[in-house]
Amino acid sequence: MSAAGAGLDVYGDVTFGIPDRLRASYRTTTYFNTAPDEPLQRWLTVGADGRVRAFAGKVEYGQGVRSGFAMEVAAELRLPLEAVEVTLGDTELVPWDLGTFGSGSTAYVGLQLRRAAATARQALLDLAADRFDLPTSELHLADGRVVAGGDDARSLGYGELVSDAYRRAEIPEGEVELTAPGEFTVLGAERGRVDAMERVTGAAVYSRDVLLPGLLHAAVIRPPSLGAELTALDAGVAAQLPGVVRVVHEPAGPGRPLLAAVLAESDEQALRAADVVQARWEERPGQPSRWDVPGILLDSARDTMLMQESGDVEAGLEASVRTLEATYYAPYISIAPMEPRAATARWEDGRLTVWAGTQRPFGIRSELASYFELPEAQVRVIAPEIGGGFGGKSIYPLALEAARLARAAERPVRVAFSRTEETQHSTFRPAALVSIRSGVDAEGRLVAWGYEAIHAGERALIGRRGSESPYAAPHQRTVVSSADSPLPVGSYRSLGAAVNHFARESHVDEIAAAAGADPVEWRRRHLEDRRYHGVLDEAVRRFRWSPAAPASGARDGRGRGVAVGIDVGSYVALCVDVEVRGQEVRVERVSAAIDCGLAVNPDGVINQMEGGILQGLGGTLTEAVEFERGVVLNPGFARYRVPRIHNTPRVDVGIVGDPQLRSTGAGELGIVPIAAAVANAVYDATGQRIRELPLQRQLEAVG
Amino acid sequence: MPTLRVNGEQLEAADGARNLLSYLRFDLGLTGTKYACGEGLCGACTVLVDGQALRSCMTSVGAIAGGEVTTIEGLAPGARSPGDLHPVQQAFVEEGAMQCGYCIPGFVMSTVGLLAREPHPTRGQVQEALAEHICRCGTYVRILRAVERAAEGADAVSAP
Ligand code: FES
Ligand code: FES
Repeated sequence: MSAAGAGLDVYGDVTFGIPDRLRASYRTTTYFNTAPDEPLQRWLTVGADGRVRAFAGKVEYGQGVRSGFAMEVAAELRLPLEAVEVTLGDTELVPWDLGTFGSGSTAYVGLQLRRAAATARQALLDLAADRFDLPTSELHLADGRVVAGGDDARSLGYGELVSDAYRRAEIPEGEVELTAPGEFTVLGAERGRVDAMERVTGAAVYSRDVLLPGLLHAAVIRPPSLGAELTALDAGVAAQLPGVVRVVHEPAGPGRPLLAAVLAESDEQALRAADVVQARWEERPGQPSRWDVPGILLDSARDTMLMQESGDVEAGLEASVRTLEATYYAPYISIAPMEPRAATARWEDGRLTVWAGTQRPFGIRSELASYFELPEAQVRVIAPEIGGGFGGKSIYPLALEAARLARAAERPVRVAFSRTEETQHSTFRPAALVSIRSGVDAEGRLVAWGYEAIHAGERALIGRRGSESPYAAPHQRTVVSSADSPLPVGSYRSLGAAVNHFARESHVDEIAAAAGADPVEWRRRHLEDRRYHGVLDEAVRRFRWSPAAPASGARDGRGRGVAVGIDVGSYVALCVDVEVRGQEVRVERVSAAIDCGLAVNPDGVINQMEGGILQGLGGTLTEAVEFERGVVLNPGFARYRVPRIHNTPRVDVGIVGDPQLRSTGAGELGIVPIAAAVANAVYDATGQRIRELPLQRQLEAVG
Repeated sequence: MPTLRVNGEQLEAADGARNLLSYLRFDLGLTGTKYACGEGLCGACTVLVDGQALRSCMTSVGAIAGGEVTTIEGLAPGARSPGDLHPVQQAFVEEGAMQCGYCIPGFVMSTVGLLAREPHPTRGQVQEALAEHICRCGTYVRILRAVERAAEGADAVSAP
């Protein structure tokens, strides 16, 4: 740490860019149960050795934030990428952060890091100006050095400039002069990842890979169904088995969840012993099953929020020449990251350290500190590499379990979910039911749009995301409700936006088909925001969409579909080609365009788009959680079918938009329109309009 | 006690019934080989045994006694820059074929196994060899490109 020694530290506001809406929820909800105690924290260090280290509370779960941040800092400081080291997600080293969810927040942290780097640049120029006795206007930065005039012989390395003393700079509150897009050397150009080597050599350390000396492996006894209560536990035999060090049983109490576990010297010893623990459970009666869900949603809809309203939908429908009414349904889907969650905890002199691949290290720190009644400074949470998160790893009960067990055993303890546990004891993307009523005039122009969505669960933000219609209509009304949820729900890539877009973009396709209009043309006529036109034009151009071939065409099993979308401030359009054979939908080709403002790392944006599209094909075609009376019946990959390599279409992605605009997210944009684009193509191919996901389950065999 | 070679090192395992994946990860500390399903359905735990790709989660140390195991760490030991990597690893880096990267060691090992037996595979053969792997991040477009890139230079690729 340079905090004591020589070097330059740049401090700045840790809440930069966080909207007031979220500030208001600091420490108030499960997700935002954390708040900064010190508003100014360190973002960047220029060491006496000339190395630049950047710090951010975000975590890396595959979205490439580490690379993006490194590029931003390298660009501002005119450094090669390798000269910048980025430290993420370690509560002891990095500035406080709310959590890594929603690409928006990441964009702000990236911006703050750029501002920190620009602040450092200015400080380095000032220092060099003193040393050379020249105005800063006659200095410039190149490759880690401040160079005087045109005379390259006179230059000083960043390390030399800061090696004489400890200095602290602060990011100014207002505007900081940032490098203009045209002058980027690394930004927006460089390809690839700064952490690729570790990932192909196996050196990258994920939560499951944290192995400490003296580590005990835990096998936790978990309820067989949601909400089941433990009534009796007999671990007499288990405790005698080889390798077993201890059986822990802490019954549930106020503020204390049940914890029963076997601790052993090896993973297999722990599991074998847990197998012979006799546990009696009382299952919660009346647990619903998957077929009950639509009824539950309708019966329990509440907290209805008006998202958008103009004119009078009823009058608009009345005045319409043709009306359409349809209901769309999406089941629960499983997040299923490749790395099931794991946590390792160690106590040392009353201080707790937990390694947990969570998207919310500071939130988990708050949880642990409050459970153990410790000051937050006594708790350190380190989020190592994360093997996929997609929103689901915000919730991380294993951190507390590991910490409790480590305290009981007085040794470090590792708790790791099996694949089945990861599914059964996780949160799910909520099921949702969307009803749409629409009306058009004689020219097929939209007159009325009534949109009512019910998303399972109390987390209203999930369902609201992406519910507003971008299509011009004199009469429109969009409302979104919460409802009871038989399964615990949580974030999943794009929250409810993918489901809302499935409903809306399917429905406008139905309108266009009924009006005999080309679905691209119909959208162009109704989209007002220029940025939608930008992405739609680009996707259509790449796809070579020709309006001559009308939708709902030959029904020969081949079809094409289009959809547009918006999420986290970015715009997207997709065109897809499908072939339907028997009960299988093959997506052959996807042409996509995204507008995310300044694309800091274009290759990263494309990678994220491809990934979102591929992952989204699962929810589109095959994924649905089967559950009966509180038990998930398909917790493994045998019966929960996710996309595999032979499901890969040809994908080409174009990036459009104005690089002067702030960077917005890319991670969610692929998944947002894919289900509708494919459903529309399946209709074009077969004449079957499928309004329920996953599509393949509803498809009637073709040809 | 079964003996085996792991990344060139001769070892004696204390317990023949020990799960091979657990043995590699916890007993030898070779954590580059991953657990993701534990039931042979995702390929994250793939290693080479005598040059052939094998799901380590589905086998025991005893079952491969006398065998030569190569894990991801053994492909290019001590590599410090992309130029030192095994050509398959290099192809994955060059194509940016990774997101979270958790599945990647498994894909790399299966690809090495495939190219050893089939230096110039067709797209169909590639898909077949990798059909039992899952990448939840959906990196397949790039993984396919990486495998094809590695296959183009495959005459230089040999199983370690
Ligand atoms: S962990 Fe072995 S195949 Fe999935
Ligand atoms: S890169 Fe994340 S699972 Fe493949």
